[in-house]
Amino acid sequence: MGDEVFKLKGNQTGLQLVFAPGIAFETLRNEIQKRLESGSQFFKRGTVIQLVPDQLSKENEESLRKLFHQYGVLFRVEPIEDVSKARRPIPKQKAPETNIPAAQAAAKESPAEPKPAEEHRMMVINRTVRSGQEIQTQGSVLICGNVNPGAEIIAGGSIDIRGTCRGIVHAGAYGDRNSFIIADCLMPVQIRIADLIAQAPDSIEKPAYAEKASVKNNQIIIEPIER
Amino acid sequence: MGEVIVITSGKGGVGKSTTTASLGVGLAMRGKKVALIDTDTGLRNLDILLGLERRIVYTLVDVAQKRVNYGQALVRHKKYSNLFLLPTSQVADKTAIEPEQMKQLVDTMRNEFDFILIDCPAGIEQGFQTAVIGADWAVVVTIPEVSAVRDADKIIGRLQAVNKDIKLIVNRIDPQMVKAGTMLDMTSIDDILSLPCIGQIPDDREVINASNQGIPIIEWSNTAAGRAYNDVVGRICGEDIPFKPFETEGFFARLKHVFGH
Ligand SMILES: Nc1ncnc2c1ncn2[C@@H]1O[C@H](COP(=O)(O)OP(=O)(O)OP(=O)(O)O)[C@@H](O)[C@H]1O
Ligand SMILES: [Mg+2]
Repeated sequence: MGDEVFKLKGNQTGLQLVFAPGIAFETLRNEIQKRLESGSQFFKRGTVIQLVPDQLSKENEESLRKLFHQYGVLFRVEPIEDVSKARRPIPKQKAPETNIPAAQAAAKESPAEPKPAEEHRMMVINRTVRSGQEIQTQGSVLICGNVNPGAEIIAGGSIDIRGTCRGIVHAGAYGDRNSFIIADCLMPVQIRIADLIAQAPDSIEKPAYAEKASVKNNQIIIEPIER
Repeated sequence: MGEVIVITSGKGGVGKSTTTASLGVGLAMRGKKVALIDTDTGLRNLDILLGLERRIVYTLVDVAQKRVNYGQALVRHKKYSNLFLLPTSQVADKTAIEPEQMKQLVDTMRNEFDFILIDCPAGIEQGFQTAVIGADWAVVVTIPEVSAVRDADKIIGRLQAVNKDIKLIVNRIDPQMVKAGTMLDMTSIDDILSLPCIGQIPDDREVINASNQGIPIIEWSNTAAGRAYNDVVGRICGEDIPFKPFETEGFFARLKHVFGH
């Protein structure tokens, strides 16, 4: 897990907390607290953090829940759903259990919603994002370069890649299904939009056109676009 | 003022030390004054590749910790009198040398040498920081394997974050596997790493044979790998040496000839 004690991975309904098994709980808790205190963007109020059950004792789970609660972050211990295999166009996905995706539902409960201006800010990355690098933003992101295998882009809004995308891309990370992903050459291992996940088939050919991934009828579809 | 180049890779065992030794000899053969610095403290082996193991008295750790001058630790090559090795310790570990000490050392040494080549340990820990900090630019060595390219990409990200120029060497290319389509070819590697490439070294069993005798493969100028390294040295010296493209008839014809098929 690199230099970090824990990691947050975007999934269908929120961010999943992952850490090395066997790590001392005190260390984990301290590191999380440090991140919370640093005001890291990703702990925006109403964010849902999930933990796969049976990794911590009940007391420790409760201790984390309280810690996150102080910062307005929802902590849930629940199984993470399987990723559905997808082809192009991606056929089958799990519809969310409720009508409102959990992240949105969570945001409603939260008193302090982010200012719209903050959400619509556009981040510009003027380079290739390489293996092990992660870009996170609450708004949308424009990447003038490639997104390589092993790189991760997580955006609250949409993602535009002026280059080849082979990494993991997650648009609408807080539940906005209107977010989309565009790339000159879209061949990621996984695409996530809001609570939906699409996994690439085992072999993808390099597409000849720019493509756009968006949500239609509860599933991620990919279509060629002009630009 | 000399040029300082770090030879790095991310993944271990892809040919950093082999490359450092051959480039060092190649530059020395062209009359350059060259120092090779082994920074793989605890796992040193550049000395063995150069056949200099028995001549080591002091090490990089002694120099960094200011017990001796670098001149006292340098080992002169037996055949090329303008080639020197600054070996490292086999007993200390990588925390024995601070990156800042290394930078100071390299900046002093560059007054005396035309080229300083630094052999970097695998990985991205302190040893990497130490090896990289004083370098003007970096050579990233990879092999045509998905995992090695992934690690190279990660290293490239780190190097770019500290504004180092980077050039690529792809080692251990098996022309028959490339031809059969079972190996990553240069186009797919370039697609991901997108770096200027200064070397494409074939997989050649003579490399191991030469290493075992303490001879860098470049000295065996009739081997495929030796010739490829010689081209790399030319490119480092600014010569415009064309590549023999891998997928074309020309390259295979050449290799067939080399391998005597
Ligand atoms: N072109 C080649 N053809 C065949 N064998 C090679 C070639 N290049 C390197 N090797 C062999 O691969 C092995 C590893 O090489 P080397 O020690 O140079 O790698 P390294 O990157 O320095 O490893 P480490 O990360 O452990 O320092 C050695 O046995 C070497 O002889
Ligand atoms: Mg080595």
